[in-house]
Amino acid sequence: MEEDHHRDREAQAVNISDPPAENNPPADTLATSLCLLGNHMFPDSVAANACSGVNRSEPASLQPSDVTAEDPGPEAEPPSNLGTESETPDCQNNLPAHSAGRGTEDAGVENDQSDSGEFVVTMLAKAKLEEQGIGVKGRSSPLLEAGIQESPPFTSHRDEDVTADSWRRHRKHVFVLSEAGKPIYSRYGSEEALSSTMGVMMALVSFVQSGDNIIRSVYSEGHTVVFLQKGPLVLVCVSSSRQSEQQLREELLYVYHQIISMLTQASISRIFEHKKNYDLRRLLAGSEKILDGLLNLVDSDPSFLLAAVHCLPLASSLRDSLSQILQKAITPNLVFSILVAKNQLLTIVQEKTVIEDARLAPADVHLLLNLIGASSAFQAGEIWTPICLPLFNPDCYFYAYISYLDPPECTVCLLLLSTDKEAFYAVAECKRKIEEAMLAQNSLSLIAKAQSYSVSQVGVSDLRHFMYKPFDVPDNHRQLTQFTSPEMEAPYGSDEEKMRLLDLYRYMHSRIHSTSRPLKLIYHVAERETLLAWVTSKFELYTCFSPLVTKTCAITAITKLLRWIKKEEDRLFIRYPPKYSTTPNPSKSSRSSRSEQQDTTDNGFLSLL
Amino acid sequence: MPDLSRMKKPDVKLVFLGDMNVGKTSLLHRYMERKFKDTISTVGGAFFLKQWGPYNISIWDTAGREQFHGLGSMYCRGAAAVILTYDVTNWQSLAELEERFLSLTDTANHDCIYALVGNKADLTDSKAHHCQDSDRLPEDRAECEEERTEPHVLSACPTPPGTGGVGQQPASLSGLLLHKQVAREDAVALYGRILRYKGLDEKSSLPADKMCFETSAKTGYNVDVLFETLFDMVVPAILSKRHENQASPTVDLEDWRKVSGKRGKSSCC
Repeated sequence: MEEDHHRDREAQAVNISDPPAENNPPADTLATSLCLLGNHMFPDSVAANACSGVNRSEPASLQPSDVTAEDPGPEAEPPSNLGTESETPDCQNNLPAHSAGRGTEDAGVENDQSDSGEFVVTMLAKAKLEEQGIGVKGRSSPLLEAGIQESPPFTSHRDEDVTADSWRRHRKHVFVLSEAGKPIYSRYGSEEALSSTMGVMMALVSFVQSGDNIIRSVYSEGHTVVFLQKGPLVLVCVSSSRQSEQQLREELLYVYHQIISMLTQASISRIFEHKKNYDLRRLLAGSEKILDGLLNLVDSDPSFLLAAVHCLPLASSLRDSLSQILQKAITPNLVFSILVAKNQLLTIVQEKTVIEDARLAPADVHLLLNLIGASSAFQAGEIWTPICLPLFNPDCYFYAYISYLDPPECTVCLLLLSTDKEAFYAVAECKRKIEEAMLAQNSLSLIAKAQSYSVSQVGVSDLRHFMYKPFDVPDNHRQLTQFTSPEMEAPYGSDEEKMRLLDLYRYMHSRIHSTSRPLKLIYHVAERETLLAWVTSKFELYTCFSPLVTKTCAITAITKLLRWIKKEEDRLFIRYPPKYSTTPNPSKSSRSSRSEQQDTTDNGFLSLL
Repeated sequence: MPDLSRMKKPDVKLVFLGDMNVGKTSLLHRYMERKFKDTISTVGGAFFLKQWGPYNISIWDTAGREQFHGLGSMYCRGAAAVILTYDVTNWQSLAELEERFLSLTDTANHDCIYALVGNKADLTDSKAHHCQDSDRLPEDRAECEEERTEPHVLSACPTPPGTGGVGQQPASLSGLLLHKQVAREDAVALYGRILRYKGLDEKSSLPADKMCFETSAKTGYNVDVLFETLFDMVVPAILSKRHENQASPTVDLEDWRKVSGKRGKSSCC
């Protein structure tokens, strides 16, 4: 089944979104030229990049799989439609072949003129022009190799040697570039060193665009390359994880949204309208760590996969009392009060008008949590910073007050969002009230005791782990999507094993959510465990059992598990999202049963809606 | 562990401005926590409250990144002192003060005082390099901001090597010092231009040699001097503000509570 799936994907190795009727040139020619382009441009970029004589080539990712798909191993035969041997990309091992650089590449072009050569030549010429424009910066890279790195200092991956094998072996690369091909962000290695590689990516995008099409993905044996164009930004993921294109695109979307959260969509569009080749790194300088952190979280935290937030299990009475504390500490224009412990949500209280009109999207919460997590600087003092919640409104800023309530441990974090830029002192006053109330109720020590649970508490033998995302919590249309999941314990104690389990979940998820053939239920016997995923109108459930479980056993176990979750749901989820009103006329219909608190104060907030 | 001082309203406002990576956050950490620790690029602005005798002094540590440039004037509103920070090993960081940051101070108080602080003096100045903060733990040396490699042998070398550069070059293993790109005279000259920009008379303003500092957040060199000098300088501003408040018809009772606080030096001396 797996193979079928794979073959399906390969059939459309270059995945272009428009209907074929509009394809110009016809799809197959286009695909071929793209592949050629991929093969030729990367050696070319080697030449442009490798100023100090060190070689560099792109990961095998762009090796066209429609040509080499049936090749057995990584030591692939030369693809039939390629001109010169030296171009044969087993990119991982074929460094000497590329060392000829530009010369080799030119030869390659000539030899390939037979079929779609014209396109290729045109595009290569274009690409070269672009590279020469863009590559100027890249040429300064002897400096980089001499160790006088100009990249921002705090980031560990920034100074990676992009010519090294280890760089190419990263599981998932993410690149962000502008439409002009200017590098904006690379997960590994400095953007300068990669500027020509990114220029090539942009050439691919614009080549397909010139035929009124959009490039979506390129599949090769070991890698999937996914493109996402959002306004003036192009995001590219080169992944050797076996995730679906959809999942990878979702991840790119998180990256895009994190950038938006710092700059807003409106200002990015404005900047690039004004100056097409603006270097956005000027504005993002210092934020690389936030993006790095996001990508690490995306890889290790299933919240992103499930698009749901994970809240810390807490006795409902405690959660309610925390919510009430937040509800009472309000000031005009305050719209969200969020309490976070150990990077998990404790409670979230929203302005009533906001909650009527829109709810906070899980993705926005993820971005906020990432911002808190990525910034050790937050641990002292009180932060006041503009932040955009891209799914809530991509064009406007909120002002976030962030402060830890338990220095110096810094595990409990308060986040207050206001629409008023000038409200710092008023919002800081809310924190004092919250602090006082929590002190009076001894909340901090109670929170400190709260922790995630073990799967053994469920009392179902053979069940090793699960993720449960309900759709039927009361009030769910007005509420944040949540999920619950126990700690990952042995045999998933090590990072590698955790990742392996997550990969299995990702696989199950991709099958359930496949666009071509979605499934409701999968029972998957893997090598070292058995997984069962099930989606209904009321929930989405992923379970992991020991390998010896039988189907009947697993189904009984799931029945027990669902019963247990039902029993515990008050503790596992934020059941009644509380609200407050900081506007003068609180809306009449309040769905929340707990929103008796009506501390109505004055106005100023409605500009937002 | 709520800090009682946090319950009080600040009397006066100090703002740190300067390009990214010059060490604004590190200076504050050094002063407030007596430590030099790994910091990451500040987001927006961070607010700290410092009790100085009977006064509550608020300090804003702002992000130097261009992304937050638009906010600078907001953080500066009503400031009694603006601390313009640069990196002594980076000429551009001084130039940025004039180009990008000076105009932000338009929203500061009319009687705002300006200080120029050249940080990272330990990289260029053996005196600053050897300054040891007594509270400093040995572990601190390992985790230093900006991945400066700490020389293992602290041999003083009076002749700096000719390599100039930006930011984060390691002081070499032999303890060689970096080329100082910004001399004190450059800062003094900039101070003069700031006064002119503000339309202040040089003679009636605080003299440049009192307002230009060279510090090292890493070794603690001059850090306490910087903060304490400035705190003392803003006290008159607090008093005059109080005087105005007394004259005004609305009296903030909260204000009186803190006056009754014990006069005493802060813990950091």
